[in-house]
Amino acid sequence: MARAVGIDLGTTFSLIARVNPATGKPECVVGPYGHPLCPSVVSLDPDGRIVVGEPARRRLLTQPERTVYSVKRLMGRGLADVQEELARFPFRVDPNSPQVVRVLLGERAFTPPEISAFILREVKSWAEQAFGETVDRAVITVPAYFNDAQRQATRDAGRLAGLEVLRLVNEPTAAALAYGLHRQQRGRVAVYDFGGGTFDISILQLIAADQGDIYRVLATCGDTHLGGDDIDARLLDLVREEIYRQWKMEVDHWPEVLQELRRAVIAAKHALSEQNATTIRLLLPDGAAYVRELTRSEFEDLIRPIVERTIGPVRQALADAGLKPSEIDEVVLVGGSTRIPLVRRRVEELFGRPPHCELNPDEVVALGAAVQADILDAGVRDTLLLDVTPLSLGIETMGGVMARLIPRNSTIPASAQELFTTGVDYQTGIEIHVLQGERELARDCRSLARFRLPVPPLPAGMARVEVRFTIDANGILQVEARDLHTGEARAVEVQPSYGLTQEEIERMLEESIEFAEQDFTERQLIEARLEAETVLRATEKSLAEPEAGELEADERQQIDEAVRALREAMRSSDYRLIRARTDALNQATQGLAERLLNRALTQALAGKRVEGT
Amino acid sequence: MAEATQAGVVCWHCGQPTGTEAFCPACGKIQPVSSGSDFFGVLGLPRRLALDASTIEQRFLTLSWKLHPDNFVRESERERALALERAALLNDAYRTLRDLVSRIEYVLEQEGIRREGEARQQVPPELLEEVFELNESLEELQSARQQGMSDAREVVERLREAAAGFEQRLQELDRRLQELAQSWDEAVSSGASKAARGYLEQMNELLNRRSYVRNLVARVTAELVEV
Repeated sequence: MARAVGIDLGTTFSLIARVNPATGKPECVVGPYGHPLCPSVVSLDPDGRIVVGEPARRRLLTQPERTVYSVKRLMGRGLADVQEELARFPFRVDPNSPQVVRVLLGERAFTPPEISAFILREVKSWAEQAFGETVDRAVITVPAYFNDAQRQATRDAGRLAGLEVLRLVNEPTAAALAYGLHRQQRGRVAVYDFGGGTFDISILQLIAADQGDIYRVLATCGDTHLGGDDIDARLLDLVREEIYRQWKMEVDHWPEVLQELRRAVIAAKHALSEQNATTIRLLLPDGAAYVRELTRSEFEDLIRPIVERTIGPVRQALADAGLKPSEIDEVVLVGGSTRIPLVRRRVEELFGRPPHCELNPDEVVALGAAVQADILDAGVRDTLLLDVTPLSLGIETMGGVMARLIPRNSTIPASAQELFTTGVDYQTGIEIHVLQGERELARDCRSLARFRLPVPPLPAGMARVEVRFTIDANGILQVEARDLHTGEARAVEVQPSYGLTQEEIERMLEESIEFAEQDFTERQLIEARLEAETVLRATEKSLAEPEAGELEADERQQIDEAVRALREAMRSSDYRLIRARTDALNQATQGLAERLLNRALTQALAGKRVEGT
Repeated sequence: MAEATQAGVVCWHCGQPTGTEAFCPACGKIQPVSSGSDFFGVLGLPRRLALDASTIEQRFLTLSWKLHPDNFVRESERERALALERAALLNDAYRTLRDLVSRIEYVLEQEGIRREGEARQQVPPELLEEVFELNESLEELQSARQQGMSDAREVVERLREAAAGFEQRLQELDRRLQELAQSWDEAVSSGASKAARGYLEQMNELLNRRSYVRNLVARVTAELVEV
């Protein structure tokens, strides 16, 4: 039986890892693209085939209306919650589904857990390919600040992907686990996890006990809608405005151009983590060219308000843990957005010490998840994770006030019981509204569930039913009721306010057979061949351009040789070879491609100048 | 509670008697929580108030190693449910008993002296004058804020002083609670139940006062943060 895996189901990328049985160390599985990152992008082919990862990401440019990214932002949320997202992301959703968001890919609608399940299936198949055995058990990570509905949606995604979800582990806790093993450190650790779509801060205490190491979360806080996506959106707004100002053109009308622009600003963001300046280039539909230099300091001014939004949660978590920044022994950075120098400086300034970033911030969460999977599955008993619930749990009382039953930062599992009685003679039920959040009024908190508690028909005040609310080790709510007169348990049908019901999941599981995993190798081969054909066609086209005549003889020879090698590889069924030679051809034609782009830019700029004078 | 005596309790798995143990002494399977077990019992602590924080934490961590649901992931559904219940109860007990104030509240609730979540919001008589002045200062601050904070410095200073004063009062109250907790423990140990009851009632009074002062401090701090 294969070992259980750890999966980081991220906003931008997802990774899968496991503890190598030979070395006892966690390792990420390297996918078919030569690295462990699987873009969390899903696309639906016109022929009904689901495409995930790198090929889906390329389709963002060619088929944006059939492709979705950053779906994690929609997990466990209703239509009313995601209006802001809908304004900023090119999600197309079904307007007639208020409780569960349904994303349209082409003509079909999918819920966020279904889309996430496609991503999980993809990385699962990577692992199966790598290990040569079936993978059916996993630890999946979630942002620490995820609420009940978001966690349930993640667990549903795991089930839909054919995985037994052993545990949902909070991302910063997983990262601390990976770091703890790496550095053998003890003391108080702050994990600052700034990812693609979510921000978490967790304060942990690492304790060496006789039985082993304890990772105890003291407090956690965060924002489930704050991440690198917001930085991209800020840059996108800037360019969009500048293009509008200069050409009165709304790039939003061209989804392909918008995606190309998104790609360009993300590339600029990455470049500015290494360099002091970079250039954003974009060809517009009418042939005009947008070219703009962006310096690091300008970039930092733009994103400073976003980075500052992380500081409030950090202070809150410290206050909840009863600690001052100076009482933190180590600060650990997790998530791709912590590569940004401004973020690092700000964290260092806040804690008064340089943060740790020895482990790859993209991989550390998956590595920690693999360690936890190993602990759970192999019965290793030398490490104990004590995590907390990020939000207070309560019920609505008279006057719409939230009565807190389990305060935030309680170690989970946690429970609370409440005694209910009737106010009217022979009343047969009591309405209960379960909430999560820190606000005083029920309407400002997150509605988790409403249910009707059945009570025996008795004179007012006589019925006595005890309800037990339990938050399990995944941070998910369970409700049980017991009649105190008879001692009998009473069934409670809890309908989640957001998310899928049990029946919907069962139905989706049946439907998912339709998308049953196609043979991994076959699929890889088809994709590799398609990709190769695209590159070959583009090369032929470029070679017909006048610039091709200016090529040095050996450069031309290299291109011809790469074309020949690729065509040969395409006759085989070795997808790795086809990919490698596709990359080689891309490499060989790079010089030519640059010349062509230069000409296009020069012409566009020249055209512009003429118009302008 | 109907089953206060646990003598007749047997293991659900092997049928051997288990008493109140978390695990069956015969087969080692996890057992249901016995009804009526109180939080002190869950942590294996004596029912006393003046407990050492590190002792409570040690008990909590030791029991967590045994009861955490992570240990039961591969066990039957029944055992997973039992572990969830036991671990949740352990965490609830730790959360309630780890600090003195909530420990006292818990005992007061058990003794029927205080109701859950109760905190009377009447002004303690000896604070009447100070609270009156504080409210005046807060109003001044608010009107200063409306007028653009031109002469708010003096009132801010006054509020800071008041907050510091109340903060000090909180510390005094906590010291006094600590003393009463000790006295209660001694009274209970020596079987002086009437004296013990008296201490509890005093503590209840102090808790009401404490919650009032704490709200004041929170209010002033919130106003000062705005400034």
